[in-house]
Amino acid sequence: MLKRWVPVVLVVLLAGALLTPAAFAQAPVKIGVIQPLSGPVAASGNYVRMGAEIARDWINARGGIGGRKVELVIEDNKSDPKEAASAAEKLIARDRVPAIMGAWGSSMTLAAMPKLEEYGVPMVVETSSAASITKRGNPWIFRISPPSEMEALGLERYVDKLGVKRADFLAVNTDWGRGAVGAFGDMLKKKGASVGAAEFMDQAATDMNAQITKIKATGGDTLFLTTAVEQITLVMKQAQEQRLGRKIITTGGSSSPTQLIKQAGAAAEGSYHLLFFMPWFPEAMPDGKLAKAFVDEWAKRGHPFEGLTEGFRGHDGIATIAEAIKVAGKDEPKAIRDALWKVRLMGVNGPIKFDKDGPAGKESGQSKPSIFVVQIKDGKVALPDFLAKK
Amino acid sequence: MEQLLQHLLNGLVLGGTYALLGIGLTLIFGLMNLVNFAHGEFYTLGAYAAFAALALAGVNFFVAVLAAIAAGAALGALCERVLLRPLRAESIDTTMLVMIGVWIAMQNGELLVWGGVAKSIPHPFPTAPLVLGPVSIAPLRVFVFVLAAGLIAASYLLIHRTKLGRAMRATFQDRDTAALMGVRIGRIHTATFAFGSGLAAAAGALLGPVFLAYPSMGDLAALKAFCVVILGGLGNLPGATLGGLLLGVAEELGAGYVSSGYRDAVGFVIIILVLLLRPSGLFARQERIG
Amino acid sequence: MMGLARGLGALLALTLPFWLADPYFLHVVIMAGIFGVLALSLNLLLGYTGQLSLGHAAFFGIGAYTSALLTLRLDWSVWPALACAVAFTALTGWLIGRLALKLRGAYFVLVTISFAGVISLVSVNWMELTNGPLGLPGVPAPELGPWSLRAKSAYYYLVLAGVTLSYLVCARLVGSRIGRAFLALRENEPLAESVGVDVTHYLVLAAVVSAGMAGLAGSLYAHYTRFVSPEVFLFTYTVTMVVMVVAGGKGTLAGPLVGALLFTALPEALRLATSWQWQMLAYGVLLVLLVFFLPRGIVPALAAWRERRAP
Repeated sequence: MLKRWVPVVLVVLLAGALLTPAAFAQAPVKIGVIQPLSGPVAASGNYVRMGAEIARDWINARGGIGGRKVELVIEDNKSDPKEAASAAEKLIARDRVPAIMGAWGSSMTLAAMPKLEEYGVPMVVETSSAASITKRGNPWIFRISPPSEMEALGLERYVDKLGVKRADFLAVNTDWGRGAVGAFGDMLKKKGASVGAAEFMDQAATDMNAQITKIKATGGDTLFLTTAVEQITLVMKQAQEQRLGRKIITTGGSSSPTQLIKQAGAAAEGSYHLLFFMPWFPEAMPDGKLAKAFVDEWAKRGHPFEGLTEGFRGHDGIATIAEAIKVAGKDEPKAIRDALWKVRLMGVNGPIKFDKDGPAGKESGQSKPSIFVVQIKDGKVALPDFLAKK
Repeated sequence: MEQLLQHLLNGLVLGGTYALLGIGLTLIFGLMNLVNFAHGEFYTLGAYAAFAALALAGVNFFVAVLAAIAAGAALGALCERVLLRPLRAESIDTTMLVMIGVWIAMQNGELLVWGGVAKSIPHPFPTAPLVLGPVSIAPLRVFVFVLAAGLIAASYLLIHRTKLGRAMRATFQDRDTAALMGVRIGRIHTATFAFGSGLAAAAGALLGPVFLAYPSMGDLAALKAFCVVILGGLGNLPGATLGGLLLGVAEELGAGYVSSGYRDAVGFVIIILVLLLRPSGLFARQERIG
Repeated sequence: MMGLARGLGALLALTLPFWLADPYFLHVVIMAGIFGVLALSLNLLLGYTGQLSLGHAAFFGIGAYTSALLTLRLDWSVWPALACAVAFTALTGWLIGRLALKLRGAYFVLVTISFAGVISLVSVNWMELTNGPLGLPGVPAPELGPWSLRAKSAYYYLVLAGVTLSYLVCARLVGSRIGRAFLALRENEPLAESVGVDVTHYLVLAAVVSAGMAGLAGSLYAHYTRFVSPEVFLFTYTVTMVVMVVAGGKGTLAGPLVGALLFTALPEALRLATSWQWQMLAYGVLLVLLVFFLPRGIVPALAAWRERRAP
């Protein structure tokens, strides 16, 4: 008796399985990612990658884009512009990605840019700070990170409250460091402060005592520091050894104050930091819930807390591209490019919307990210006095 | 004046660390005529070994340094035995190529194991600087300087006062005669490479806490080491010591009074000038080793 | 037999863009060609005169910057800029050669590293000239009359011409009296000197040609990637060059080209084969294995194998 029902049940089950729309039956949406995953800045590149992976998993958990799963195709640019160009070539020509996020360092991004124009594929720039990236007339570039000038403007309103009258600069000898020195120097001079010494250090240098001794002799009251977190640690320690005794402000947003507290200890006390994400008080971010969720997910995956100040860029970059694909309705490069002009979304950093930047007719997109200042007080990260409210 | 004194003090302390880097390489380069591109990686290994010992196993600082030296020497011996000995008949650039491969493999291996984030190595010294009149210096650096001096002295004694040292010098002055006299050539090569690598690891273990430990830390260090070796003359231990100090001071003064961007150029210019004007090194004496 | 193989090879090379249409592979071939010229140039010094220059990336960079600056700042057309880059780099080769070639062996190696180091630092710090770390974006692509050579298939032919030219120059040089002098002083310098070979003169000549060729490679690179930054002076480029020459077979003419092709394709193949964590580690291990099993290089090993097979 039962035996007769078995094939019927099987057919019904099979039919049900076939007819139920499988969630991700179609080809995945591919998004290219180019980051420095090896070489001197491997740590930063990997944080961005981790943030990107969180964005991808969240999007897929919500059903993907138009029912299709998002897949990240990740390439290493080995902290070398030539590799960045090769990686872009491979992603576009071999993997056929319709959009890319990258490439972290400004010279890596600049090296990849001709490929974008050659093939007509848009790229969302998540970290690079060189002004030239959006001013070169490349209509395939959309940047969500602030160029140095924008960053300097973000600090402008606090200059008096911080009491900066005579500033010196110590920056890493790359496009980022030099750009920061120029941009912040101009901004300070406009506010009536004076600029003393501008010293540089090689990206791999570990001993900055000579530069610190020189800066000590200028008699300034503030030192602006622009470099990666490891060098900031070393500068702070060496500044303490030489009893530099002045206010330190770090720029660029890549230095994690948490890591500085851990590694520089008392030498980091009292320093200020310009950031684009405050993982210690996610509720204070423009979208507090999203920020908090990001911080929690990051911790759940066992990623180091220090990486959050850079990891969020990966999330925001992927979220932006995904939103553009949604708006465009298809994962085709030109459609995505046109859609990027129309996107309005909330990233971890804040609202993302692209304005025109660069020569007329060939504008690139530049968003206006939120900029924050924190201070290390009593071995913990806090809002500076002039900002602490509520 | 105050500035100058601080620069000089900075330079001397920095120079001590360069000397430490140089003495290991001068033995390998000078005695074995091997352009050892992986020397920086043994330095890095020493730093990570110290980190593992201190932060993970929680041992005493001195024990950690010893552990680092042991690790460096062991890996050096292994390298020599497995990779370099079979290639000894080959030309200098073949062995160089192998060391380049080792360099790439080691550095990326470290990246894989420890990750790219720099590690801070804990140390037992107070962080407040020692103030001596107008200048100041960290106690840790003083310690490193003293220990480096000790290691240099010990190496010198080993080379000049022990049987092993004599055997080394004999092998590299005249291999065939040394072999005829009963010296085990293979063992001497291994011992020399292990010794040089152990010293590099020691430098890493001592300098790791001063700076930070990260996978690419060896690259610049190796270049400075080569500079020190040239300055002092190949195989010349006291020369390397003085050369290290000289490089440190020259770099400090160059960065302080000329330009901080061109700081590393000082080392290069010194190499060029010394090699063109006095190729045997500034401190070459009559009886040089090898 | 060899002639047929060569003819076939030439035919394949001439028609490559037609049967290898994938732009990514074409890109790899173009880069291999540029590095091939570079490897040939290093081989002149290393393989034929026996001097290991580890500063060759400096000549590559000088060629790249000269060509880029002339076309960007002075609006020159690419062709005179290319010629000028070659000439200027050859001149620097002469200068450095005259100074450095008083030394031999490991000392020569170190002095070449140092020259390269100084030039690299100058390119980073001399902002007014080189724009420092911000680099020179927007280097124009070459134009032949009304046609732009920007497209990959077109640029491929330019690079092929460069490779052929360099190969021919090397072949002629090596086959001539000069080449015999090179070999003489590579094998036994005091002996060569004693029979009247002007050692310094020949070494400097090798340095000049070698540098000029490296400058050509630099110029080809600049107009292909259209972005030049101080990273062209990175030591890793010199290391790559050395690997290509030694692994391909130094002292042979085909060796550097084989090495260039292999070691340009290898990192990209690794990119396709493994995930990013393992690429560089695998590269290092493969290098060690290659040196171990083929210490003379690939081309000499192939030649020896062929010889053993012939009765």
